[in-house]
Amino acid sequence: MVRSKLPIAILSIEGTNCDRELVVALRSLGARPEVVHLKQFEGREVRAADRRRLSDYAALFLPGGFSAGDYVRAGAILAARVRAALGPELEEFVRSGRLVAGICNGFQVAIELGLLPGRPSGRLGPAEAALITNDSGRFECRPTFVAWDGGRFPPLRDLPRGTRFLFPSAHGEGKLVLGGDAAARRRQLEEDGQVLFRWVAPDGGPARYPWNPNGSEGDIAGLTNPQGNVFGLMPHPERSFFRAQAPDWSRSASFRGWGDGHRFLEAVVRHAERGAA
Amino acid sequence: MERWSPRVELVPFRRRRLAELLALSDARGLGFDRGELSRLRGYFAHEGRDPTDVELAGLAQSWSEHCSYKSSRAFLAPAFRDLRPRSRVLGTGDAGVLRFPGGGAYALRIESHNHPSAVEPYGGAATGIGGILRDVLAVGAEPIALTDPLFFGPLDLPASEVPPGVKSPRYLAEGVIAGIRDYGNRVGVPTVSGGIYFDPSFVVNPLVNVGCVGWLPNGRPVPNRARRSGDRLVLAGGRTGRDGIGGVAFASKELTDESGSASRGAVQLGNPILKEPLIRASLEAYAEGLVAGVKDLGGGGLATASGELVHAGGFGLTVDLARVPLREAGLRPWEVWISESQERMLYDVAPASVPRFLEIFRAHDVPATDIGEVSRGPYETILWEGEPAARLRLAFRVEPPLLRRRRAARPRRLRPTPKVPDDRLEATFEELVLAADNVSREGVVRVYDHEVQGRTVVKPLHGVVTSPSHGDAAVLAPVEGGRRGLAITTAAQPWACQEDPYTGALLVVEEAARNLFSVGARPDAFSDCLNFGNPTDPHVVHDFAEAARGLADGARALGFAVPSGNVSLYNGGLGHEIPPTPVLLATGIVDDLARATTSDFKRAGDPIYLLGSSRAELGGSLWARRRGLRGLRLPSAAPVPLRRLGRALVRAMEQGLVRAAHDVADGGLASTLSEMAFGGRLGFEVDLAATGLGGAGVALVAEGGSRLVLEVPLRAARRFEATMRGVPCLRLGTVTDDGGVLRWEEKTLAGVDLVGLYDRWRGALGLP
Repeated sequence: MVRSKLPIAILSIEGTNCDRELVVALRSLGARPEVVHLKQFEGREVRAADRRRLSDYAALFLPGGFSAGDYVRAGAILAARVRAALGPELEEFVRSGRLVAGICNGFQVAIELGLLPGRPSGRLGPAEAALITNDSGRFECRPTFVAWDGGRFPPLRDLPRGTRFLFPSAHGEGKLVLGGDAAARRRQLEEDGQVLFRWVAPDGGPARYPWNPNGSEGDIAGLTNPQGNVFGLMPHPERSFFRAQAPDWSRSASFRGWGDGHRFLEAVVRHAERGAA
Repeated sequence: MERWSPRVELVPFRRRRLAELLALSDARGLGFDRGELSRLRGYFAHEGRDPTDVELAGLAQSWSEHCSYKSSRAFLAPAFRDLRPRSRVLGTGDAGVLRFPGGGAYALRIESHNHPSAVEPYGGAATGIGGILRDVLAVGAEPIALTDPLFFGPLDLPASEVPPGVKSPRYLAEGVIAGIRDYGNRVGVPTVSGGIYFDPSFVVNPLVNVGCVGWLPNGRPVPNRARRSGDRLVLAGGRTGRDGIGGVAFASKELTDESGSASRGAVQLGNPILKEPLIRASLEAYAEGLVAGVKDLGGGGLATASGELVHAGGFGLTVDLARVPLREAGLRPWEVWISESQERMLYDVAPASVPRFLEIFRAHDVPATDIGEVSRGPYETILWEGEPAARLRLAFRVEPPLLRRRRAARPRRLRPTPKVPDDRLEATFEELVLAADNVSREGVVRVYDHEVQGRTVVKPLHGVVTSPSHGDAAVLAPVEGGRRGLAITTAAQPWACQEDPYTGALLVVEEAARNLFSVGARPDAFSDCLNFGNPTDPHVVHDFAEAARGLADGARALGFAVPSGNVSLYNGGLGHEIPPTPVLLATGIVDDLARATTSDFKRAGDPIYLLGSSRAELGGSLWARRRGLRGLRLPSAAPVPLRRLGRALVRAMEQGLVRAAHDVADGGLASTLSEMAFGGRLGFEVDLAATGLGGAGVALVAEGGSRLVLEVPLRAARRFEATMRGVPCLRLGTVTDDGGVLRWEEKTLAGVDLVGLYDRWRGALGLP
């Protein structure tokens, strides 16, 4: 199959350290991922040849990690720097329907930017939700499962609701809390199909700790914006891209082949390719 | 020198009596002994002048035990000389570099951060991680894995038994784990292996060892030596402050009840979010060929790094300390010279490459400053704003004379091996499985990110996702899509080394090899961290020499290269002596990742085999330790048969004849069988008589004989047995659906509820 070389920017600053596995995954899908430092967008202290424009990319990925150390609320500093450096360009990028993805720390950044849960206008704004410290009180790296919630996310449209994915988690601040009347807001997100993934137990049943690793309300593990072109999730699909990255691959004698992250990211990339074509 | 910088002080030295000089050395925290002071006095008498404070500070760093290995080198060099074969070892600098079959190379190194962690556990452990990352970065490698063997006093030690001025074991353990977590996770390097060991002898002086493995895609290490005179010396990374002044002197003496307050300033402050871009910028500069030589700034700061970098190339140096970017104003030149502020590297960069080099670092927001140049030598000239602050013959500073330490064997009297009762086997089984040294480390493993970078193919926890258990080693896939894997493990046996440091060290190497065989890897290399006590005690020196000899003999027999290592002396204090504790970070090669094996039982009905010859000796065993039984005979070491056995095992694994493997170590068969069953949520039925030992009790608890337990696919049993012909391999029992049944021939002796035991085992550690 001839694949378009979808240009994808993976935004980096100090501490955005989950870019390697993301590059490997996206490249395996035939896309053209490029790790772009925020300063390359700003054009500050970089060679002319290293300057980049957001509008040259078909998709923007905000990777996992500890951007700027996350010494204050996770994602807050990178969000502030993105807002200052790229605010109007990013709004235009989102309004044009191009894809913005936030994984783990990137999800935290998208929430801080107000991109998620997001506004019908597609504008950035004050955060309407927060990802706060896990109920366990600590960072935990563990296998977790999420189920597709059958919402408005076009890349997964053809998948049956409840389809389960093994995506590992590695975070200390992933408990989603919604601003305002939280219960009403959550109902609305559910009705509008903005819940992307929910944590589930390994058998697909309701998730208690550790299968909901952070205590998130409604077991919400990922969200999309109303338009479905911005999404974020706490666990790491790029770390279960290959079957060999699953914690139990040796039990089924299947080392080779894809993991659940491949299924998800492939759907995302294929959808973006159709949009870019 | 006619004129010195007004910022330096001339220290009256010539014509002083040694007693006066000793007092001066102590007052300034220089740590020189009488012999060294006399040598210094002679040097400056010959120069016809007194030393500057900058010169003395620099000399004190380079002559410290920590930097010079002056007590240990005499024993290390002869033992390990032949363990660096050129065909495999590409570098022996700050980290060892090994050729990776099929292309590329990897770097490995383990070292200690014991004293800082005893005083300030969070910061001490964090900067330990920071330091070991720099060592690997300093040979041109990208850090891809961390390991951290930790040794504490018992967590439940009553407060009344913690000596004054010493922090409680729980406080230390929690702080150390949090420090590793916050540094390692932020910098984005997975923590894939380690260990937590408890013993009252670590109460005063915990051991915090940190290891790192790095990857060099092009297989070419960057040298730790300057290339040519006229090259620029560029200091990159963190700003320099007053933290970590005199850290090496602190590391080169025993702890006291005042260490906590008096030496807090010797501990540095880490910054992983500066280290992360420092690593990225350095790797870019290496890839563009801009770096001719490199050294990381660790113990002794700029003084040690710059001196060793240029001296190794046969050059001198000129550095202006006023150009070093400072975190706070007002540092004295000598403080700038020896500060151990973190996250700094020193590069030899050709003048024409400097602009591009600085451009890369600027793009990553990492400060980088041209502070001087490589000169012809043989002198180092240290300036402050262009005026001289130090001028020493460099060889005099960085090559202190070795010490000839006296050694003496400890008097030993072996006690007879006690009889292990054959009754109440359930109780013995549970006791060993639930011992602090054995219970699940899951809680700790999970606070470390062990998957970042996406290379971790066999993870530190093995088994079904709902029932994770312990494995023997982690396996990484260093090359995306590559077939070969790099197995990483940790080994230490302080109790065996206490009984007999030579045999104990051999057993440590055997353990490392077994851990590697267990996942399907061939032993390739290890780096050793040698944690010992006070080298002015001839017994400690003897222990050290014997352990070094044991490690080297073990490495030779089992095919390990030993390209790098670290020595940590003066561990102990307040009457507490640590056991001789050599710790290994060992690596192995997995030829086909698809055949890598984990420890969890896979299928009920499969036969269980025991590999290796069981030994009845109980010295150093968990069963004996729990009964306070010391002075027992160790099971003898047999590295050569183990190598044969390992080869046969890996061959069987490559043919798909092994479903699960786990080595027999602390807690004997009780521990091994339960962990294999836990991970698979399955059970077992075994005949303890198959061990050939005299009774069911000893068969359950004995640890010796370098054994592994295997699960073999039922249909492949005959082929497996044929493959293992010529090595000791016995059918021990069968994997079952649940429960643990212990038999002696036909007679059932005990049944264990493994489901209930798993829940207790999993939650018992109470950390973090």
